[in-house]
Amino acid sequence: MTAPYDITVIGGGPGGYVAALHAAEQGKRVALIEAKYLGGTCLNWGCIPSKTYLKQAEIIEMIKKARDWGIETGEIKLSIDKMKRRKDEVIHRLRNGISYLLKQGKIDVFYGYGTIEKNHSITIKTKDDVHTIESEKIIVATGSRPVVPSIQGLEQVDYDTSDTIFDMKNIPSSIAIIGGGVIGVEFACIFASLGTEVTVVEMADRIIPNEDADASKTLTKELENKGVSILTGSTVKKVTKVTKENNYSILSVMDGNGETHSLEAQSLLVSVGRKPNTSAVEKLELEKNGPFIHVNEKMETTNKGIYAIGDVIGGYQLAHVASAEGIVAANNAMNVDDQFDDKVIPRCIYTLPEVASVGMTEEEVVNAGISYRTERFELHANGKALSAGEAVGFSKIICDETYGEILGVTLVGAHVTELISEASAFMSLEGTIEEAAKMIHPHPTVSEAFQENASSLFQKLKNQGVLV
Amino acid sequence: MANEVFMPKLSSTMETGTLLQWFKEEGDSVETGEPLFEIMTDKINIEVEAYDDGVLLKKYYDIDDEIPVNQIIAYVGQQDEVVPDTSPGISGNEINEEKELNESAVEETSVRIEEQSKVEPSEDVRATPAARRVARSNNILLNEISGSGPKGRVHVKDVNQVLIQRNDSRATPLAKKVSKAHQVSLESINGSGVNGKVMKNDVAKSIDRVSRVDPSIQTSQKRKLSGMRKVIADRMQESVNTAPHVTLTSEIDMKKVQELRKNLMKVVESHTGNRLSYTDIIIKATGEALSRHPAMNASLNDDEIVLNNSINVGLAVSLDEGLIVPVIQDVPSKGLREINDHAKRLAKNARNQKLQEDQLKGATFTVSNLGMYAVDAFTPIINLPQTAILGTGRIQEKPVVVDQEIEVRPTMAVSLSFDHRAIDGAPAAAFLTELKQILENPYELLA
Ligand SMILES: Cc1cc2nc3c(=O)[nH]c(=O)nc-3n(C[C@H](O)[C@H](O)[C@H](O)COP(=O)(O)OP(=O)(O)OC[C@H]3O[C@@H](n4cnc5c(N)ncnc54)[C@H](O)[C@@H]3O)c2cc1C
Repeated sequence: MTAPYDITVIGGGPGGYVAALHAAEQGKRVALIEAKYLGGTCLNWGCIPSKTYLKQAEIIEMIKKARDWGIETGEIKLSIDKMKRRKDEVIHRLRNGISYLLKQGKIDVFYGYGTIEKNHSITIKTKDDVHTIESEKIIVATGSRPVVPSIQGLEQVDYDTSDTIFDMKNIPSSIAIIGGGVIGVEFACIFASLGTEVTVVEMADRIIPNEDADASKTLTKELENKGVSILTGSTVKKVTKVTKENNYSILSVMDGNGETHSLEAQSLLVSVGRKPNTSAVEKLELEKNGPFIHVNEKMETTNKGIYAIGDVIGGYQLAHVASAEGIVAANNAMNVDDQFDDKVIPRCIYTLPEVASVGMTEEEVVNAGISYRTERFELHANGKALSAGEAVGFSKIICDETYGEILGVTLVGAHVTELISEASAFMSLEGTIEEAAKMIHPHPTVSEAFQENASSLFQKLKNQGVLV
Repeated sequence: MANEVFMPKLSSTMETGTLLQWFKEEGDSVETGEPLFEIMTDKINIEVEAYDDGVLLKKYYDIDDEIPVNQIIAYVGQQDEVVPDTSPGISGNEINEEKELNESAVEETSVRIEEQSKVEPSEDVRATPAARRVARSNNILLNEISGSGPKGRVHVKDVNQVLIQRNDSRATPLAKKVSKAHQVSLESINGSGVNGKVMKNDVAKSIDRVSRVDPSIQTSQKRKLSGMRKVIADRMQESVNTAPHVTLTSEIDMKKVQELRKNLMKVVESHTGNRLSYTDIIIKATGEALSRHPAMNASLNDDEIVLNNSINVGLAVSLDEGLIVPVIQDVPSKGLREINDHAKRLAKNARNQKLQEDQLKGATFTVSNLGMYAVDAFTPIINLPQTAILGTGRIQEKPVVVDQEIEVRPTMAVSLSFDHRAIDGAPAAAFLTELKQILENPYELLA
C-alpha cells in the first residue's frame, strides 16, 4: 500500500496539473492520476494542436495575400505529414515541460484510470494492474469529450471529432462541419486554408452563438470570403454513406424553413459540444448539474473532501478557467479559504480574424436590464492594422451609463486574442471608460483601436452628461 | 491708501468665519453701508457692509473659504491703487483695536502665522490661509498642490481634492465613482481586493448595509454637514465634550400664570399686536430669578467665571435649517409687554434671516421651550460660554394635591442644565426653586 496523500488529483489536463503543482508548492504530498497523456484535451487534442494548425493557416493566407503586394513565391505545396509532425513536436515539448514540473514538485504521477470508491479510496486501473491509494482530499479534473449526437446513419460513416481529426491522413477535398461553435469555426478556418471545400452546419441562427452578434456577423462574412459555406438554423437529419472510392457521405440538412437539402462531403467533423468524463465518480452519489458535477464557488462537490474543476463541472469549458478553478480547489483542499471569481474571464476564438471577448455581450446586458452605451471602432481606421493588411474587425466596448463601468468588450481582428487582456485588466482592476480613454497607447498598434473606442465612448457620455 | 476689509470678530468665541457669498466683484464701486459679502459665524449668516467708499480692488477669498478673524479679505480704494496679490494676513489696525478685548486670541493667530512661514519654506506658494491650515494639519506640502485660484493660488477645495485622492488611493476607479455617487466614505470600507483595495462590490455591500440598518436612508437625500448645521454640530459637540452637564427637573403649577396671561392678554395685544405667550412670561420670570441668583448668570471663559451684570436671555428659535438664539437684552428692566414685543420680533426676524448681529450677541442664559410639542421634559445642552440653560415642556392638566385635596392643575415640567464646572447643585437647585415660586405666584412680577 502506498503512503496516504494529502491531495490526489484525477486528470492531468490544465485543471488537474495546475492544481497538483499548486498544492505541491505549498508542501503537500500530491498524487496525479492520468489515463492518457499529461496536458489533457487542451494540450493533446485541443488548444495547442488547433493553434499550431491555425498558425499554418495564417501563413498560407499571408502568402496568398502577399502575391497582391508584389511578393511572389512559387506554388504553395502543403505536406500534411510535416504539418502534423510540427504539431506533435510542439505537443511533446509542452508535455515534457509538464512532466518535468510535476517531477520537480515531487508529485507521484500514476498512469491509469482512477475511480473513487465509496470509502473515498482511489482505485487506479492500468492495462495490467489495479491498485488503490488513499488520500485526504481528492480533486476531480477528468475533463470532457466530444458529444456525438444521435443522427440517423452517423455510426455507419467514418466521422471525425476533435479527438481524431488532428491526425488525419490526407487533406480532404471537402468537409462538412456539424456545429458552428468555437471548435467548429476554428476547423473551418484550418480547412479553408488547406484548400478544402468547407460547409458549416449550425443549428442556431448564427455561428458562435455565445459571442456578441456583431462578432458572428463579421466572422460569417470573413469565412464566406474564404469560400466557407455557412448554413445556420439548419440541422443534419441523416447521414448516408456513398460507396465512392474516397469515403464520401451525403448529409440531409433541414433548413429553417423545414426544407431538406443534401450535402456531399468527403470528411465529416462532429463538433456540437462536449460532455463530462464522470466515470471516476460514478460510484459516488454526487449532486449533478445536468450531466456535469455540481460544485459551489469553493469547488466543493456535495461529498466532503472531494472537489471538482474544469470541463467536468461545465460552465465555460476553457483551459484557463480550468486552471483558475484548480488553484481555488487546491487552496480549499489545503484549508486556505478561496473562491472562484468569474467576473473577468476572457474568451478567445483563434479564427482568421480572431475573436476575443471578456465580460458581457450586448445581448446579456440587454437581458440584465442594465442601462448601457456601446460603440464600435473599426480596424480599417487603424494604421497598424491597415499596414499589416489585416484591417478587418473592430473593437466594441459596452459600458454602463452611470459610472462608465466597462461591462464587456468584444474585439475582432488579427492578434486580438493578445489584446483582450488589456480590457481584462481594466475590468479586473475596475478602471472605467474614463481611465481607458485616457491611457496612452503606443502608435502604431492595433491596441490603439481599443483606446479610440474608449475615448469616443467616453466623450459622448461626458458630453451628454450621463456619467457621474 | 486702500482700505482693508477684514473678517469681523462678531463674538468672543468666534475664531473664523466662512465666506458665503460676495455681493461685489473686483472693480465694482462700493459705498459705505452697502453689503459687501456674507459670512457665516456662530449660528448666523451675516451680511457685512462696506466701511468705505471706493472700488473693490481685490478679493482674496472665495466662497466656502474659512477665514480667521481679522484676516484681510479684500481692499476697497481708488481705482488703480496697487494692493498686494495675496492677503497680507491679519489686519494691522484691527489688531490694535482688538488687543484690549481679546489679546490672547490675536496673539495666537499671529503666532500661528509665523509658524506657517517656518513650515513652508516655499514662500512663493500662493494659498489662502484656510488652505494653509488644512494642508498643515494633514501634512500636505502646499507646493505639491496645484491651485485653482487666480495665479495658481491654492484654495481649501484644492487641498481637499488632494486629501480625497489620498484617501481614495486604495480604491479602484470604479469603486471611487460609485462611492462618490452614493456619498459613502471609502475610509470605512474594508476592501476585498489585493492589499485591502476597495472594489465596487465592497462599496455596494456597504451601501446595502447602510440601507439595511435604516431603510429610510436609501430614499432620503443626504446632505453634507455644512453651514448652520455644521456650526450647531460643532458647538453642541464642544459643549457636551467640555461642560459636565447636570440637569435638575421640577414641576410647576401654572394655574396662576394661566390667569395672569388671560388677564393681560388684551392689554398686551392692544399694544404690541401679539398675543402674550407663556414663553414671554417664562422669560420674564427667568430674568427675575436670575437677578436674585447672579451665580446662575455667569459665563465660563477659559479658567474664569465671569458674573455678568446684564441679564440677557437667549431664546432658542427653531428654523428649517437648524436653530438660532436671538437675545432679549436686560430682561429685568423690561415689562411683559416689551418682552412680548421683542421676542416676537426677534423670532420673526430669525425666521426671515433678518437678524442683525447684535441681536444674536450677549446672551447670559438661554431658555428653550418645547411646550408646543408633546414634550414633558428634556435635557437641554448648554450654550457655551453660558453656564446654564432652562428647558420647558408642555403645560398639562394634572391631578395635584393642594391642601390635602386632589385638584386638577395645569402643570409644566422644567429642566435646568448647568455646567458643574461653574455651578454646584445647591445654588442651581435654589435658583430652580426660586423660579418655581415666581411662576406659581407670578403677580410679583408686576410688583
Ligand atoms: C479542438 C479544441 C480546441 C480548444 N481550444 C481551446 C482554446 O484555444 N483555449 C481554451 O481555453 N480552451 C480550448 N479548448 C478547451 C480546453 O481544451 C478545455 O477546456 C480544457 O482542456 C479543460 O481542461 P480540464 O483539465 O478540465 O480537462 P482536460 O483537458 O480534458 O483533461 C482531463 C484529463 O483527465 C483525464 N481523465 C479523464 N478521466 C480520467 C480518469 N477516470 N482517470 C484518470 N484520468 C482521467 C483525461 O485523459 C484528460 O487528460 C479546446 C478544446 C478543443 C477540443
